[in-house]
Formats: sequence, structure tokens, C-alpha cells
Amino acid sequence: MRIAVEVNGERYEREVEPRTLLSDFIRHDLELTGTKVGCEHGVCGACTVQLDGEPVRSCLMLAVQAGGRSLRTIEGLAEDGEHPLQRAFHERHALQCGFCTAGFLMSLEPFVREKPEPSEAQIREALAGNLCRCTGYRGMVEAVGQAAKELGGG
Amino acid sequence: MTSEVGSPAGGRLVGRPLPRREDARVLGGHSEFLDDLHPAGLAHLAFVRSPYAHARVLSVTPPRGAPGLLAVLTARELEGRTRPLPIQSPEGSEVADEPHPLLAAGEVRYVGQPVAAVVAESRALAEDAAELVGVEYEELDPVADPHASDLELLRWRRTAGDVEGAFRSAARVAGGRYAMPRLVAAPMEARGALAYHDPAADLLTVWCSAQDTHRPLRHLGHVLGRPAEQLRVVVPDVGGAFGSKGSLAPEAAVAAIAAIDVGRPVKWAEDRAENFVAAYQGRGMEAEVELALAADGRMLAVRARILADLGAYLLPATAMPPHTAAMLMAGCYTIPAADVRVSGVRTNKVPTGPYRGAGRPEAAYFLERAVDDAARALALDPVELRRRNLIREFPHRSPLGWTYDSGDYRRCLDLALDLAGPRRAHSDEGLVGRGVAMYVERAGGSFEAARATLEPDGRVIVRSSTSPHGQGHDMTFAQIAAERLHVDPGDVVLEFGDSALVPGGTGTFASRSVAMGGSAVARAVDELGKQCVQTAARLLDAPEDEITWGEEGLAAGDGRTLALPDVAAAGPLEATARFESDLVFGSGAYAAEVEIERATGRLTVRRLTAVDDAGTIVNPLLAEGQVLGGAVQGLGECLAEEATYDDQAQPTSASFADYSLLTAAEIPPIAAEFVESPSPLNPLGAKGIGEAGAIGTPAAVANAVSDALGGRHVDPPFTEEKLWRAIGE
Amino acid sequence: MEGDRRVKPAPFEYAAPRSLEEALGLLGEEAKPLAGGQSLVPLLNFRLARPELLVDINGLSELARIRRGDDGVLRIGALTRQSELERSELVAAEWPLLTQAVRLVGHPQIRNRGTVGGSVAHADPAAEVPVALAALGARFVARSPRGGRTLCAGDLFVGPLMTALEPDELLVEIEVPPVPEEAGCAFVEHARTAGDFAIAGAAAVVVPARHAAIALLGAGPVPVRASDAEGALVAGAEPREAAALAASHIGKGPRRALVAELVRRALEEAAR
Repeated sequence: MRIAVEVNGERYEREVEPRTLLSDFIRHDLELTGTKVGCEHGVCGACTVQLDGEPVRSCLMLAVQAGGRSLRTIEGLAEDGEHPLQRAFHERHALQCGFCTAGFLMSLEPFVREKPEPSEAQIREALAGNLCRCTGYRGMVEAVGQAAKELGGG
Repeated sequence: MTSEVGSPAGGRLVGRPLPRREDARVLGGHSEFLDDLHPAGLAHLAFVRSPYAHARVLSVTPPRGAPGLLAVLTARELEGRTRPLPIQSPEGSEVADEPHPLLAAGEVRYVGQPVAAVVAESRALAEDAAELVGVEYEELDPVADPHASDLELLRWRRTAGDVEGAFRSAARVAGGRYAMPRLVAAPMEARGALAYHDPAADLLTVWCSAQDTHRPLRHLGHVLGRPAEQLRVVVPDVGGAFGSKGSLAPEAAVAAIAAIDVGRPVKWAEDRAENFVAAYQGRGMEAEVELALAADGRMLAVRARILADLGAYLLPATAMPPHTAAMLMAGCYTIPAADVRVSGVRTNKVPTGPYRGAGRPEAAYFLERAVDDAARALALDPVELRRRNLIREFPHRSPLGWTYDSGDYRRCLDLALDLAGPRRAHSDEGLVGRGVAMYVERAGGSFEAARATLEPDGRVIVRSSTSPHGQGHDMTFAQIAAERLHVDPGDVVLEFGDSALVPGGTGTFASRSVAMGGSAVARAVDELGKQCVQTAARLLDAPEDEITWGEEGLAAGDGRTLALPDVAAAGPLEATARFESDLVFGSGAYAAEVEIERATGRLTVRRLTAVDDAGTIVNPLLAEGQVLGGAVQGLGECLAEEATYDDQAQPTSASFADYSLLTAAEIPPIAAEFVESPSPLNPLGAKGIGEAGAIGTPAAVANAVSDALGGRHVDPPFTEEKLWRAIGE
Repeated sequence: MEGDRRVKPAPFEYAAPRSLEEALGLLGEEAKPLAGGQSLVPLLNFRLARPELLVDINGLSELARIRRGDDGVLRIGALTRQSELERSELVAAEWPLLTQAVRLVGHPQIRNRGTVGGSVAHADPAAEVPVALAALGARFVARSPRGGRTLCAGDLFVGPLMTALEPDELLVEIEVPPVPEEAGCAFVEHARTAGDFAIAGAAAVVVPARHAAIALLGAGPVPVRASDAEGALVAGAEPREAAALAASHIGKGPRRALVAELVRRALEEAAR
């Protein structure tokens, strides 16, 4: 099937098999390998991208279902790689191996945009949809608080 | 993200909590993990795996054809071309000759064992074709329970001191039987390899999601019978390993053969379903421990029998964790006599191997649970019992034969108790418990290497034998090198992960990177620095002892300076160092407070305290990250994780839906502090920190759980079912 | 079998019908409807589900509405995203049990795609939404080329991952009757980790001495109403007694204790 999608503001048209997962389409067909695949059963969240602005698991969607829709991936989070979340993740040592990082950032971006002063419990709940095996999450909790504050009201 | 390291040249860098300069690439989505590599002409590999825990393989029939199918490999295609993976045998042990075959020949011994490999144009097509491979099995009886196994793969025993006499004269003998279940390392990136054979040069290049380059290189050389010059191993970004990517995966060797046969690059990117059944697991040990105690609480002797569920074959490092556990069974106590035995038995499960701690968490759990049980038997406070037996003088030779280099165990314990705060009482809703556990761990040993060169532009390139998979080698080693060379860290470039570029080493495992790899870096840059001074002295025509390092480069006594590029122009400056040392021994004290809901048995860890002595800390921010990450894996082991099998040895926890990793929402406050007792064995004074959290946490939580239950013992994971039953007992 | 699982779906045909009629014409033995995909796609990836045809109903926007009829009944289109239900002010005000329950489904990333109808039709015994709907006395409207029918929870859920829906039948709407005035409600569950499948749970809708509805999660293969406990509660039993009664059908052991505790908490919370 032929589909057209917009990814990070760019339009792509590709021929895909119906069974191609959106995660594989993004990574292999569009060569946007910043999105990672960790479990392909919807638990780990590494493949999280934004579909029309909302975080979704790209391993639980077929590429054909993204036809006519707009996607945003880690490559499109910030043009200069300086989204406050990215900066805060760096400063707070919120990543180690980095395999889960893109999924966390794409999940958290709406959260820090919409919640200027989240409580620690709210932050932890917002983080809970993604798994990290390295960090123990503390750096992320701090980073999300920092980024939310920075973006507060903005 | 620009790194704001910006330390003035010549300032102290070791000991500073600097954020990692390697983050920017990852945060922007520009990391390159194995499955991100797509060379032209890439073909994909999928495996046919055994659905049975034990069966004879009567026949394997490849399909006549399938869309996109390029090749099918079975044991027959490998015959005469490969050897099974080598087996490492720990000192003093007897190991069986039961290596892991690359592809099953005649028999399968665990669910998930590779039987055939299918190469096709895409992963999906390879999976389609794999379904068409006909395998005829004849089911055999599997062994799921290690107690029911009569096949010993590993045997080891060491006795020292008058054990019999100590038990005879003991005022009290206390202990118990303690078990740690099998665990899945579950790095977020599963394993994988991409192989390409260049026929003109007869060079086989294997990109491997691995902990280092030189173990895969050695294993591939052994398996393929190929000299090292015709092999190159490249380690791209690695999405976590925790021990599970140390030995070469049998599947990676099959990918290499497939690449040779197909004449194209071939990639095996392991998926999560495969990782759960086919990647070696950790732990799976239990022990019967007895402590002989004097009336005043002095520990006179320890006796332990460790039973390890090793699984179906011996992978290269399968025998190592039980040996490490056994060797640490005297812990941080002055126990004069010990009798420790290990029996590693065969079961029809995927083999075990190193997983974060690799024997250390088991030893700490076995011994520290026994110490708490002993305290209860003696009606002594468990902290006081520990205090009376702590090793105070170093070096200390343990009765089991390892020499602890340095430490301050009492200070670790005192600090942990301070941070843990006062004990709380039970409430109407919950049983509250507090547990303390101490540990001593081995790290380092053997050798690592580094090569430092001064480039024409004045930058220093350091190539290291140990390589990163999340720890932060780049930043840490840059701190070490820049401080010693009196240059800006931005002028130090670290290179890792390509056997064609980096010098060979032992490997990145067992918390050894800073102590061994970092020391090799230190030695290499020290030598390079010396060469710089000599060269500058020659160029400036000044005595060597007058040359100093400054902002501008090197300066003579009269103020004339020479920039590093000018030094570099005088000739290629390069220094290689191989650093070798005995084992170093880190230690720590952990405390946990738990609450068990009376009505349901649900466990909540309220607070965790971690005090670790890893010698000199190069970067406290990253070291703390290691402690927290390890502690959370330890908490996962307590709260949720267990690789389970039914009585037919079928895995029953083979996805993240059934094997839960903790999320951010389950993590209690963790207070982490360091004590620094420098090791006398290396130029940095460093020990290991990568495994600390995973070692101390389960033992402390288990002691807290037992404390809450009035001394009853429960093994992890502490599920509500188990605890509810324990409350009712 | 676990040992030979895969994670790329087997090939299938794909159709994205534009109307309900068209969709119903495509369903059958070898076809499966694809809604949010949060349960079906993992099964496709593992090749545990291998339909010949996947009927993607995401284009049927008429099934994605939440509204209250003149009769006071809440009508939730089967394709309503779980996050829509979570955000609905109408539902939060009038059927807060549903808001509470849906917040416990997976994570925001899952709820942004997952549908209310999918939660119901997948019939996972650990799913929250079916339990809440059972407590609310919801009715489930199904359509097929042969016509339509309405089922109650007791008739719809027949076993773990099994419903009474025929292969050519599509769940199109869920009808939730109004909650009695002054009712308190609560959904309480126990899961090992946040967003994980629940081990046990309880939904309660209570008007002291007048109305009690208790539905249990993890007390059997399907959502169970604890009718004797409901009766006892209306007759004046204390939450603790009613909770013990609700769990009394479960064999003696940790699960019974857990369910009883969760019911007690749900009842006490609902009474607040």
C-alpha cells in the first residue's frame, strides 16, 4: 500500500506492506533510527513517538495506520538539540546507555509543556509508561521537574 | 549540548561530578546501536528455536523455497567448520565438557535453543521462512528442578582452618537455607550481531552488541578457528548489558558463518521474545549456610553448600558466578575457618551466566541472611554482631584465599546507620522491618590496556581496551587523562570499541573499568606526558626538570613556551600501557526499611540507604548513577523479578507482561553516599562501583523483610502471596 | 510456544472500511477488527493471532463518540479512545467510577490509542474497564450483518479473552445507565508495578442502605458481581463484613485476602 505521512514537518511517501509496524517503518523505511525498539509488545516504551501530538507506542501501530497523519520523533524534538528536557536530562545524568531515552523524551514532552509545577508523584507517574534498566530513574525525576519549571507557563 | 566541563588546564578533574559529554549525541537521537546499522546489501537472520525443554532432534528440513529466502543453516552446515564456545573454568574447579553448540545437533536441551538459522531479505521474511523449517522432535523428560538433577557440570570445594573444631567448640550454630531465583538481565537493547566477510582480504568483521571487543574476538577466533588478524570486532553503541553481553552469543557466531556463506552483510538483531528465552540468565543459586559462633558472638567458622542451577550447557562464563559467590562467603568478617562447596547442576533451562554482581549479590544474601539469623539465635542486635566481627586491618587474607586490599568497614556501617535514621515500630496496618547488610566484592584483576597519542593539532587520542555501554567511560577517562596531562578535557578524545584500533584487554565486566581500564589510561598518558616533556626539553634546549605544564602548553624555566601542536610536530608521540593488578575489593553497608501490609502481604520498601566504598571516585555523579541503577535492579529482584518455569521447564515469564521491571513509580527514596578507601594496587586508588547497588540491596531488603516477620525467612521476590503466608505462619 | 515466538506479524490483508456496514460485511471467521491495537498488535507481533484479514475500524468516526441520551444513559462509542473517556468532563461528573478505572489502564501512551470497546472485546480478566462497566450495570450493543443485539456483562464475558460476540459481530456501543443519585464510587486495584496488569481489584458503587454494586477483578476468569455482598451491604453490613463475603467464593489463600482487602477499601472510599 502507498502511504503519505508527515514526520517532523517533512512529507514522506512510501510503499509499505500492511504488516509493517510503524516502528519499523520509521526506523528502516524512513531511516530515522533515533526511535528505538525494545520489546515490540507495547510494554517498554522505547519506541514512543508522537502521533498528531500525542505519545503512542509505534510498535503497536501499523505503518498504514499512520497514512495522512503527522508524526514527531526524537529527531524533531528540537531543531538545535536543545529542548529543555534534553538539557535537563544531560545535567541531571538522566541517561546511561540511552536506548530508552528517545521514548522517554517523546512521552514526557507534552507533560512538561502542560504541567508547570508537577509533584514528584506526578512526575513518577508520567515516567511510569517507559522502562529504563540503567538509571534507577532519579535523574529523570529531577530532570523532568527542572524542564517543567523552565517551560512553566510558556 | 555543549559540555560545560571547561576546567582550567591543570585543575583537579578527578573527583568532580561532571555531566557526561557523550550525552548530546544520544539525546539528539543520533546514537547508533546495532540494529541502527544498515549497510548496503544487508540480509537478515532469524532463528528456529526449540519449543521443547528436552527432545531429540530427529530431522531438520529446510523449506524448498520461500519469498526472499537466501539460506538455511543447520548443525549439518556448521559441521567441520566450527567448534562450540569455549568454557572458562574457575580456579580449583572441575567443569564438565558440556559446551553450548551453535546450533542443536541431535538434541535440544532448553526451550529457545537455536536449532536452525534462516537468512532472508528482511527480518519479517526470515521469520516467515523460519516457520517453514520442518523440525521433527521426540520429546524427552526435562529436568526443571535443580534438586532433581543428577548431572553435575561444576564442582568446587575449598576448606581452610579448623572448621570441624570450630563447629565442635561453638556456643551456637546458626544459619539456614537461602535461595535467589533466576533473573533476566533484560538490557533495553537485546543482543545482536552484524557480520560481513570481505573475501579479498579474507577479513571477517563482526559488529556486536557486546561489552568489549576482545572477548567476542577471542570467542569468534575459537569457534571459527580463525586467526585474530582475519577478524575484526566493532562494538557500536550498546543499550545496556549488565553482564549479559560479555560472552559471545552462539547466534552471533552463526551470523558470522551466514555472512561468509551468503557473501553479504548479515544481521541478527535479537528481539525481546528471543532475549527472554535464549540470553543467559543470572543468579539461580541457593545455599545452606551455617555459622559457628562463640558465646560473645565471634564468628569461628562458616560452612556453606551452594547449589547452582546452571541450565543446559556451560557457556564461557557460566561457571564463574558460583565460584565468585563461594569465594566471598567469609564476607567482611574475620572468620578464621571456612568450608565452602559448590555444586552446579544441569537443568533443561537456558544456561546462566554473569548478571550484575555475578555471584556477589548471592554471597552477600547468603551470608548476611545467616548473620541476621545468627544474631537472632544469640539474642544480639544484628548490627552489634556485625561490629564485633568486622575486619579492621588490611591487607586481609580471607580464609578462602582472596586478599582484601583496603577498606573501612566500620565507617561504612556507621554512616549507613546514620543515614538510615531511627527504627520505626509496627503499625495497625503494617509490619515494619529494618535490615542492614554489608558486602565485600571483588573487582579488577588481570589486565587492561590503553594507547595514548599526541595528534598534530595538539589533541590527545586515548584508545582504551574497556568499552562503554552506558557507564560513562568517555567522560570518566577524559577526566583521568586530562588531569594527568594538564590539558583541557575537550582536548582529550577517547576511542573505544574497534579491535582494529584499540589495544586488547580482558574485558568490560566485574566493575573493572575504572580500576583497570582507567589505570591503563593513567599509565599511558603519564608516559605520553613524559615524552612531551622530553621533547619540549629538547626543542627548548632546557633541562627536563625545568619544564612545566601551563595554559599555553609546556614552558621552560625562563618562560619560553611551546604549544602542544609544536611538540607533536617534533615527531610521533605515542605511549601504550598495559596495566595489570591483583583483585581489588570494594565494600559497603546497606540499610532498608520495609513495611508489609498485614491484610494482603504487600511489601513496600520505604527507604533504602547505600554506603559504598569503591576507593577513589573519579566522577561522583556517574558513580552515584551506577549505585542507583544497581540498587533499583536489586529492588526489582526483591519486588517483582523472577524467571519462572513450569514443571516441564517451559518458561512462564517470557515477556515484559510477565516479567515486570520496576517503573519510576515503585522506587523509594534512596540515600547514597561514598566512603573512599583508596586501593593501594593501582595509580588511581580506584575499585569498582558498577555492581555495588545490586549487591547490597537484596540482602538488606531480605533482612528487613525477615525482621518485619519476626525472624521468619522468605526468599525473593517478596510477593504478596509469599509474605501473606509468612504472616499467617 | 514460548520458545519459538516471533515479533513481526505474519502477513495479512488489510482493509480500512469507511462505513460500519462495509466493516460488518468484511468481518468473519478469518477476519479480525483492529481498533486501538494495544492488545491485538502484540498478539499479531508474537504471531499468536494470525488473521487473514485485518479490518481497521479506526476510520469509523461515528463509533468514537461519548454522549448522554435524553434517557440519561451514557452511550460510549466502542472506538472512543481510553484517553477521551479519561478526559470527558461529563463522565467525570456523572460516572466518576469510569474515570477512575480508565486511569488505571496501562499508561497515557497506551490510552491515547487504546479504545473502550477494545478493552471490553479483548476480555482480559485483568482489565479494569470491563469490571467498572459490570459494576455500573452497563449493556453492550453489538452489530452484525444479521442485525443487532444488546448484552449485559454477565452474558458478554464468557471466559478469559473470550466473549459471546460472533466472529462477524462488532461491539459498537456501550450503554451505561445513570448512577443512582448520591452514590459514592471507587475503583481500587493491586498491580505489581504502575500500569501493569492488575492482580486483583474491586469496583464499588454505593448509596448507603439503598444501593450497592460491587464488581471484582481477579476473582475469576471474568468480571464478577459480588451479589451476596451487595445484598448484605444494603441490609446494613459493615464494609469489612461485606468485603469478606465478596471474597468468600475465592478459595482460602492470599488471593482471597487480597480481594477482600481491596473490596473493603473500595467500599470505604465509596462511602466517603
